[in-house]
Amino acid sequence: MTAANRFKSFIRKPHNVILVALAISLSFLTLFPLLSLVRDTVIVHPSELMSIRGSKPGDLTIFHWRKVFFDGETSQNLFYKPFWNTINISLGACLVSLVLGGGVAWLITRSDLRWKSFISTAFIFPYIMPSWTLAMAWLNFFRNRLIGGAPGLFTALTGIETPNWFAYGAFPIVIVLGLHYAPFAYILIGGILRNMDANLEEAAVILKASRFKILRRITMPIVMPAILSTFLLVFSSCMSAFAVPAFLGTPVRFQVLTTQLFRTLNGLNPGYGYIMALVMIVLGTLILMINQWFVGKRKSFTTVTGKSSNISLVKLRSLRTPLSAGLVLFILAVAVLPLVTFAIESFILAPGDYSFKNMTLQFWAGEGRVDIGGGEPGILLNKYIYLGLWNSIRLSVVVALVAGSVGVLAGYAIVRTRGTRLSGYVNNLAFFPYLMPSMAFGAIYLSMFAKPNLFIPSLYGSFALLVLVGAVKYLPFASRAGINAMLQLSGEIEEAGLILGVPWWKRMTRIIFPIQKSSFLSGYLLPFISCMRELALFVLLITPANRVLTTMLFQYNEKGWNQYANAINLMIVVIVLVFNTAINKITGASIDKGIGG
Amino acid sequence: MPEIILKDVTKRFGKFIAVDKLSMTIGDGDFVTLLGPSGCGKTTTLRMIAGLETPTEGEILIGGKTVFSSEKGIDVSPDKRDVGFLFQNYALWPHMTVEQNISFGLENLKWDKERIRDRIAELLAMLKISQFGKRYPSELSGGQQQRVAIARTLATGPKVLFMDEPLSNLDAKLRTEMRSELKRLHAETGSTFVYVTHDQLEAMTLSTRTCLMQDGLLQQYEPPLTVYHRPANRFVADFVGSPTMNFIEAKGDNVNLDEIKIELPGMRLIFTPTSGSLTLRAGQAITLGIRPEFIRIEERSTLRGKIYATLPSGMETVVRIQVGENLLTSVVFGSIDFDVDADVGLGFAGDHCIVFDGESGEKLAHGKLAAV
Repeated sequence: MTAANRFKSFIRKPHNVILVALAISLSFLTLFPLLSLVRDTVIVHPSELMSIRGSKPGDLTIFHWRKVFFDGETSQNLFYKPFWNTINISLGACLVSLVLGGGVAWLITRSDLRWKSFISTAFIFPYIMPSWTLAMAWLNFFRNRLIGGAPGLFTALTGIETPNWFAYGAFPIVIVLGLHYAPFAYILIGGILRNMDANLEEAAVILKASRFKILRRITMPIVMPAILSTFLLVFSSCMSAFAVPAFLGTPVRFQVLTTQLFRTLNGLNPGYGYIMALVMIVLGTLILMINQWFVGKRKSFTTVTGKSSNISLVKLRSLRTPLSAGLVLFILAVAVLPLVTFAIESFILAPGDYSFKNMTLQFWAGEGRVDIGGGEPGILLNKYIYLGLWNSIRLSVVVALVAGSVGVLAGYAIVRTRGTRLSGYVNNLAFFPYLMPSMAFGAIYLSMFAKPNLFIPSLYGSFALLVLVGAVKYLPFASRAGINAMLQLSGEIEEAGLILGVPWWKRMTRIIFPIQKSSFLSGYLLPFISCMRELALFVLLITPANRVLTTMLFQYNEKGWNQYANAINLMIVVIVLVFNTAINKITGASIDKGIGG
Repeated sequence: MPEIILKDVTKRFGKFIAVDKLSMTIGDGDFVTLLGPSGCGKTTTLRMIAGLETPTEGEILIGGKTVFSSEKGIDVSPDKRDVGFLFQNYALWPHMTVEQNISFGLENLKWDKERIRDRIAELLAMLKISQFGKRYPSELSGGQQQRVAIARTLATGPKVLFMDEPLSNLDAKLRTEMRSELKRLHAETGSTFVYVTHDQLEAMTLSTRTCLMQDGLLQQYEPPLTVYHRPANRFVADFVGSPTMNFIEAKGDNVNLDEIKIELPGMRLIFTPTSGSLTLRAGQAITLGIRPEFIRIEERSTLRGKIYATLPSGMETVVRIQVGENLLTSVVFGSIDFDVDADVGLGFAGDHCIVFDGESGEKLAHGKLAAV
């Protein structure tokens, strides 16, 4: 076959066309930004003219690198301290989420715990809700007078003043992030435990091993690879978390890489920020490589037998009811109580006074008053809120449609050409945005699209830029869902259509998509929910015209207008939960399908 | 010595009844197979005896000791029942070597190291896998894994051994080989074996008694050859034997005191019971059951049929013959080949032909069959 003919037959297959198109566009949207970011770390930016004497914008310089890494005290405060803070809170949060999520996963799959279906449903809630939900709830409960402002509910109820370390900084960040990602650990570890051949444990029971010994010698070693990869994924998520440290750390000047990134990029030294973004990307990539190396080294031990539902459950005996009740209370405390505090806080006129007299509808439905919140009307009357709500929903829907559809196509093309180098390349590219911390990702797109680039006009301040950054950032969720769905589908199903002369478009929409509907739809759902509650990704890119709810919430919070922030947060949480439940009920798609895989 | 007794054991999963009031006694040293189609409750039964599944109702005794009783609220955990269990997929621990897999149970019994080492060597030699001691299960073939699983189960010397379709993951050749190994093992250890299978051939060749189940109900519990020749009902007759038994739906009438006349298009038969006399209502619907090996090809017979197909396999030949509306199967020793549609005469041999009730399917009698 001549080269020309080979090319012709290659390009005649739809999956090859998709693959090539994806390879080109994703290279442009993920690798090119990376190069642009590297360049940004060594040039002078307009706002830095003051600090780098005698330079012109665009000049090459090693000033940023020197300042960030090798400038004694400055580097310590600028980079090293936040860096170690990031590592420490990420480790701590991983520990919390693994112990909690893994523990609950074990109880649900292996013991005779009560109310399992409620616990397994409600335990996911903190992950569906925006991550700062718990952070705000923590502040609502435990904030103290020391920082200035009114004390929280806890102090109001008990009269006990919370110490600073408890109210702000590392400790609450670890707890809150840990709680937020515990469902993630639960979904991953629970999935493995569910699929793990129960006979392996039963064989040990028959051989007279104690429950603890079985856990230690059989179960743990077998699920270890899964636990490790959960650890790495949670670690990289915690590392790139912005909202939680911003809410809980800023009051006591506890900085992490993401908050530093925000300060420097928004401030006078974007060059520093770009370096930090690069550091985070390198860390993320390292984590992925460790994960892949580990997964490759130890083959997965789990074998699905379909008999696992038969496993004999551990009897908790006298602990059964107290443990079950305790868990339910705990879930209510982390999943429902925060919402209650938002509601309460949004009705309080003068902060810190929780008496009934002090309740008001001002922040929901009041006309603007000059003495309160800068004269802003209540959020139900505020046209900017409606604009933000409309923007949020519009953005999330468009992002979900784009990411989800590209994910389906990517899954199709990657699985159909599995084993080829191009397939592996696209697969990695489609996953790469997952490793980029949201804030850094936003920063790159800011630097790349702030000015006209190749054939693309300047996108700064446009809705299109938000869609673009959202779609690329959430593509990993969608492409994972697409790949998983396609892997479960044998190629013959499509080939049966091919033989009958059904055109490609019809094969996709009439055969493949309907069969794996719920898996594919999970690939739409996850980007939608993530986008609805996303802050870090958009916070640098937003302009007043295209504000979304989350960035408005952040601005209100920065201004200290707590009541508005709480009201908006309640709104976001309710929207996300309603959408998630509705989509789940109607289509069977669910977020655990997206990440569980 | 262990004798296993089940009394009215019932297991319900929600509304679905997996096992319904099962009562049986498994004698010491027996090799009992639980046989039946998938979903008949045989694995559930085995798991209940082992203690891996909790019955909804009933009582189970092992060696005179009550290990489960719904009335008295007794439920002894599996590790205290002194049993061994061989799983269908072996359930070898993937992160342990062959030796570690085998020694695990012995460590739990607090054996000292020396003794464990000797026991492992003994078992590895017995199952002919000495060279694989340091390997991981994933580095072994299916048959070798199977042997490791057996070694692990035997290590602690259980007096009762449960096996859940242990051969179903092996290829045909290996399965035949392992069958004889298991039979030897049963003789050598003198333990009681309870064995679940859906393969009637395994049940026939291995067991001392076969327990046939359908939809959670016990159908017949007798030695395999009894089950084969004297099936309790049509289901049992159909399930056991390959090729399957011929069934002829007909109406029967008593004639000449003790005989039964059966008339069908192209067939006039007389059935003489040897199991005691049989009285039918006039024109009662019956099903005639004839094993293929009892249908002979006899050129001079008055009963004629047409060859439908001939399937020679070397040692024996399966001949399918159209007689009237019925398609009968006959097995003939040696290889013969008939032309399609050739005319042949048929006869019946032996006194193992069965008459079933046409409606209930229960066995009514067995005896001789003759064409007239």
